[in-house]
Amino acid sequence: MKKYIALLCFGTLAFFSCSDLEEKPVGIIRPENFFNNTDDLQAAVNGAFANIGHNNYWGREFTIALMLRDDMSDIGDRTTQAARIDVNDMSMNDTNALVANFWPQSYVIITAANQAIEGAKKTPGDPAKVNAIVAQAYFARAFAYYHLVRLFGDIPYVDFVVNDVNQVNSLTKTKEADVYPKIIADLEFAKQWLDDKPKVKAVPGKGTAAGYLASVYLTLGNFQKAYDEAKFVITNEAKFGLGLDADFQDLFNATKTASLKEPLFTIDFNNLTSGNYGQDYTAFFTGSLKDDSYSYGQGFSVAVPSLKVFNTWDQRDYRRAVSFDTIIRKKTGPGGSLQVYPSSDNEKVPRPHIAKYFRFPGKAGANGRTSQHNYITMRYAEVLLTAAEALNEINPGTAEADGYVNRVRARARNKAGKQVSFPANVTPGLSQTDFRKMVIDERRLELAFEYIRWYDIKRLKIGPEVFGPNGLEPHANFDPNRDYLWPLPGTELAINPNLQPNNPGY
Amino acid sequence: MFTNRKKKSFKWCLLVSFLLANIVMHAQERKVTGKITSSEDLLGLPGANVYIKNSSVGASADMDGNYTVIVGEKNAVLVFNFVGFQSVEVPVGTKSVINVSLKPDTKALDEVIVVGYGTRKKSDITGSVSSVTAKELTAFPLLNAEQALQGRAAGVSVMTNNGGEPGAPTKIRVRGGTSINASGDALIVVDGFAGVSMPAPQDIASIEVLKDASATAIYGSRGSNGVIMVTTKKGKPGKPVIEFSNSTSVQSVNNKLHLLNADQFAAYRQSFTTHTQGPANSDWQDIIYRDGMISNTQLSFSGGSENVRYYISGTYFNQNGVVINSGIDKYTIVGNLEADLSPKFKVGLNTFTSKQNKEGIISQTGAGGTGAAGVIASAYRFMPDKGIYNADGTYTTTAPIGDDIDNPYATAMENILETVSIVNRNNFFAQYQITKDLDFKTTLGLTDNNSQTGRFIPSTLIAGKNIKGEASVNNTRFSSFLTENYLTFKREIIDRGMLTVLGGYSYQKNKNENSYAASRGFLTNTNSYRNLGAGTVFLKPDSGLSETELISAFGRLNFDYDEKYLFTFTARRDGSSSFSKNYKYGTFPSGAIGWNISNENFLKDNKTVSNLKLRASYGATGNPSIGAYSTLSRFSEIYYVSGDVITNSVQLTSLDNPNLKWETSYQQDYGIDLGLFDNRISITADYYKTITKDLLFNRPLPGISGIASQLQNVGELENKGWELGINTRNFIGADFTWSTNFNISSNKNKVLKLADNKDLLINSAPGHFLATESQILRVGQPVGSFFGFIYDGVIQQGEAVLPGNFETTPGGEKFRDYNGDGKLDSQDKTIIGNPNPDFIFGFNNDFTYKNIDLNIFFQGSQGGQILNYTLMELASGNNNATTEVLDAWTPTNTNTNVPANAARTKRITSRFVYDGSYIRLKNVSIGYSLDEKIVSKMGLSKVRFYISAQNLWTITDYPGTDPETNYLNDTNSRSNTNLGLDYGGYPNVRTFTAGFNLKF
Repeated sequence: MKKYIALLCFGTLAFFSCSDLEEKPVGIIRPENFFNNTDDLQAAVNGAFANIGHNNYWGREFTIALMLRDDMSDIGDRTTQAARIDVNDMSMNDTNALVANFWPQSYVIITAANQAIEGAKKTPGDPAKVNAIVAQAYFARAFAYYHLVRLFGDIPYVDFVVNDVNQVNSLTKTKEADVYPKIIADLEFAKQWLDDKPKVKAVPGKGTAAGYLASVYLTLGNFQKAYDEAKFVITNEAKFGLGLDADFQDLFNATKTASLKEPLFTIDFNNLTSGNYGQDYTAFFTGSLKDDSYSYGQGFSVAVPSLKVFNTWDQRDYRRAVSFDTIIRKKTGPGGSLQVYPSSDNEKVPRPHIAKYFRFPGKAGANGRTSQHNYITMRYAEVLLTAAEALNEINPGTAEADGYVNRVRARARNKAGKQVSFPANVTPGLSQTDFRKMVIDERRLELAFEYIRWYDIKRLKIGPEVFGPNGLEPHANFDPNRDYLWPLPGTELAINPNLQPNNPGY
Repeated sequence: MFTNRKKKSFKWCLLVSFLLANIVMHAQERKVTGKITSSEDLLGLPGANVYIKNSSVGASADMDGNYTVIVGEKNAVLVFNFVGFQSVEVPVGTKSVINVSLKPDTKALDEVIVVGYGTRKKSDITGSVSSVTAKELTAFPLLNAEQALQGRAAGVSVMTNNGGEPGAPTKIRVRGGTSINASGDALIVVDGFAGVSMPAPQDIASIEVLKDASATAIYGSRGSNGVIMVTTKKGKPGKPVIEFSNSTSVQSVNNKLHLLNADQFAAYRQSFTTHTQGPANSDWQDIIYRDGMISNTQLSFSGGSENVRYYISGTYFNQNGVVINSGIDKYTIVGNLEADLSPKFKVGLNTFTSKQNKEGIISQTGAGGTGAAGVIASAYRFMPDKGIYNADGTYTTTAPIGDDIDNPYATAMENILETVSIVNRNNFFAQYQITKDLDFKTTLGLTDNNSQTGRFIPSTLIAGKNIKGEASVNNTRFSSFLTENYLTFKREIIDRGMLTVLGGYSYQKNKNENSYAASRGFLTNTNSYRNLGAGTVFLKPDSGLSETELISAFGRLNFDYDEKYLFTFTARRDGSSSFSKNYKYGTFPSGAIGWNISNENFLKDNKTVSNLKLRASYGATGNPSIGAYSTLSRFSEIYYVSGDVITNSVQLTSLDNPNLKWETSYQQDYGIDLGLFDNRISITADYYKTITKDLLFNRPLPGISGIASQLQNVGELENKGWELGINTRNFIGADFTWSTNFNISSNKNKVLKLADNKDLLINSAPGHFLATESQILRVGQPVGSFFGFIYDGVIQQGEAVLPGNFETTPGGEKFRDYNGDGKLDSQDKTIIGNPNPDFIFGFNNDFTYKNIDLNIFFQGSQGGQILNYTLMELASGNNNATTEVLDAWTPTNTNTNVPANAARTKRITSRFVYDGSYIRLKNVSIGYSLDEKIVSKMGLSKVRFYISAQNLWTITDYPGTDPETNYLNDTNSRSNTNLGLDYGGYPNVRTFTAGFNLKF
């Protein structure tokens, strides 16, 4: 009897647990269990934007490349990372470290957008509400592709959710001319469904989509449509909560960006990071070495203004004072107090520095890293100037076009509360060529160091002029057959030979 | 009723019967005496045991082997036994004097070896197994038994992860690393419970290391790194044994770096930059080092009757480390109980509880930039011309020279890093003999490990100054449930053919939980980490859970014919939840054959060759290399700020991989066991070759997939080598004995295949070095190879400099144009060193002379190289330096390999790759056991005193502090690729111990 009882006990123990070995993770989000409501969808959409505010994109690697490339900024400290110097000096190759970082990051943004767009199809709820949220993802995708196509020309275009790596291993490049219609389609969807006036500038609204459409059409040379879109924003500026802010300096003051109305879209940073997310370096790069003015320490003088830019900018322009720092301070006074010195006293990089980011970064980490800047990717002033330029191309000599430029200039005349007379309004009756030259230059000054100028140089094909011996930043080796496009990363071409060849000249 | 007369006679009857009974009883209860001798030398065996079978009545023999025992019952049987001798049973009958002569157990081949799910006689083993005895494990005082394995078993490499740090984990590798991205640690099985931590060395009865596939395949998916079978002590029937032991040790750092003093440092700095000499002259190594101390106490009770056997022990270990403010406290309780409920039904319980409190210091940090250096690394770097305190009472820092770090004293004393670890383990088993051939055993085990680490960085340190202190608490919990059920069938199925069949089923569930909270901004430093709520800035908290299940079926078939021809087949089928959808199950078979040539007629009675066995095996084992949930696609929360507010945001961070497979190792082993002269000399030699396929790699995906990498099976690795173990009993005499154990093994490791067979670069340099790569994985080369430029000496005056060379003036470093293309660039980087040793060895000698015993144990490694980041940093100019800079190049001192003093980028070059070979006198101990006569007068059965020294003497050319170094060799992939690295590790120590053992 004992024997059988014993056996029974063992039997039950032996078959204690049968399991199908399927994992049921708690605390981990599985795609098939996600997209249960619009909050889930918004979180997935936010994944795209979070990756824009990432060290490898708008935090550091991408924006430093865009800033250095144009004729406004030059390399300050020549012992800095070689990849940065190559971008500035037109000597890039396919191993460029900056490209190697922001190229994959661009596709991380695009993947997140694709995931959200796919997930929106199964998100329950009011279609209008769902579309209003997923429209943000369409915008994010268009945003990433718009930068990619302008920099690289023909690029691989992914608009589906990648479930299996093999789907992308054999992808070929899509021609530049075929990418633009897709960008436009994404922006049209965004324009249709985004809110008029989002609660915060970090979320794109109707005006944002229209503003970017205007920019796309301007790049393509479709001036009529560019004007239509820009006009749409301008006509509805009140409805969209847009306008020009009174003091130009406020646009570059981290403590004030929350209350601005000029930005169409911002990338927000708040001094806290999580790994590479939320990590920005722009203040760090543009601040001056040997400058003890600020509690967060010295900058690193990596990106500085081209000297000619500083010297040719009219001294009366308030925007010049906002854009440049011409002094440094050292703790050489009694008791270690700060004494003012001209910026030429910086032995390593003796010249004025870019002030837009280093002067008022809010609470910043060491040397200006991890600031609180909300970087403006497009602001209302740009829309006005786009409208003026487009209108001049289709119908030169209108007062309307003059008016747009004058609005921008009028704001510039507000020198921290005091009205000055420079820059004066546009002389009426300029010829189309003269107006064009004037408005391009106005863009250059108004949007200095804001990642716009390189794209202007490229779409207008004025490279040989601005990088020539009489240009603002001479680079004798500028090759118009090569340097308007950047090289795709060599590692990508090695993994997927269908992406070969690289852009001409690389 | 009874008449008076009848009452009286009744009383008489009672009295008489009582007296008679007394006489009879006394007659039954008689004294039996005798002498127990050894049949070898006919001398008495002091301490031999005699007890009455099926009772707990017994006695021990005295110094001459004489015993006395009171025998009370009829048909008593006396059992005589003694360690190392065959036991003998003698029925008492009517005898009053029984002398016995015990035969020594020279056929140590009848020794029983623990293998997976059973035991085998040593002579029947077909796999490659090494044994380590309890005596070897307790030769010197140690916190954990892993360290005791060092140098004891051929092919087993043991290294501490952090020098002599109290509580530092130990890495055990058997026959080389069989993986790159997954753990290379051997599986530890304690009393049948797999995947747990080692008990204290005093509680261990024996350790078997299973090395080849035939032995480890029964553990299937967890066996590819070897299996360490630990058996704790169990009680034996007979008189209860009480043992008490205590030892005290003093430790000191066994090697310091030769650094510059204040004057030399000032002169050094002034030779290439401006430097004002500071006021002090500090030897930072002396400031942070002190004499360490260990106290180790154990009390154990064991014994049993015929039906119950018990072993209970408690251990207390306390250590003050040789670096200030570091130490450990550990309590362990072990209880092993076994009961025979009936002759066929046995149950048992093994319990283990331990609690460890560790006061740690920061060492072996991943980076040493601003405010982040460890205690030991900063002791090397910190300028000697500064003291501990500034004039205003604050701690000195390195500013303005180099990265700003706190001085080593401040880093050691001000940082708080406390870890409390608790382990609870209970393993219940029941065994039932169904028929005389068929046996069923079931086990049920639960383990619960909890660990809490509290950390506090006060505002007196650089890292805590601006944030006003940072406190964090991290909790991890590991719990495991295991049940194993198996049938064993053993019968002689044909004449002289013994068949043993094992079949079983096992289920294991593991759970890992963790939580973390941290905050900053404290008013005061006194709260340490005990009041996180008092902070003003709360950092992002964290918690997590992962669970895995393992279901297995396993079987083994042994067929031994005539004890000459041995066949073994094992197979195990494991299913693991963490494995991909299409490959949830894996099967791991193995087969082995053995030939006991010494049992053949032509060798059976040979006087010279007492044992000769050939064996060969081949099998597949796996590596539980895939973490929970890693084959699943998932969204992860990422950080996103919108409108200056942190907002929920998720992103896809991994793709589904339904085809991921286990890493599998295919191992072949050929071995020979040879015993000569009645096993006075026994030799074991093995040759093995292991190929590991389907190695898991994080294969970088194309950027356009939006995912950085995916775990795929793309690699292959080969380990091959040989092992040799020689045991000799050189001298066996009445007064003097001497035995030796020597083992040596060599392993060659080679990468066979990588993803697209492309080189993979690895960077293990401390973060603030800003290096991009330090090691390389390349097809055809060993894992862990160092990668960098070759240093070719100093640029002399008038010498032409290679274009691209980093320095161009005389005195600068010169690097080799490896590819001969006339310029120096990244293409000239090549493999500059191999951390894998050519061979490792251990050499143990045991002497006894009358009451004195002496043990001398050497251990060493030959051929491994070490990349020393500490010396690289000390040569970079913006910190202290070693005395090698006194021989730096100057225009008048040109015959030197040390470049001119300057501030230099820290670069991975062959200049900092050194030979890490060493021989170490690991242990010397002398013990004295008191005479039996004195001892038994005290009521004891054994008293032994001993003194010993560990790491007394090391022969090495290595210029770092100690050749046993393991920087950043912690988590899975790093434990394979980061070998032979040295940076800021806790120093290794020399220990002097005195102690005693008492046995009642």
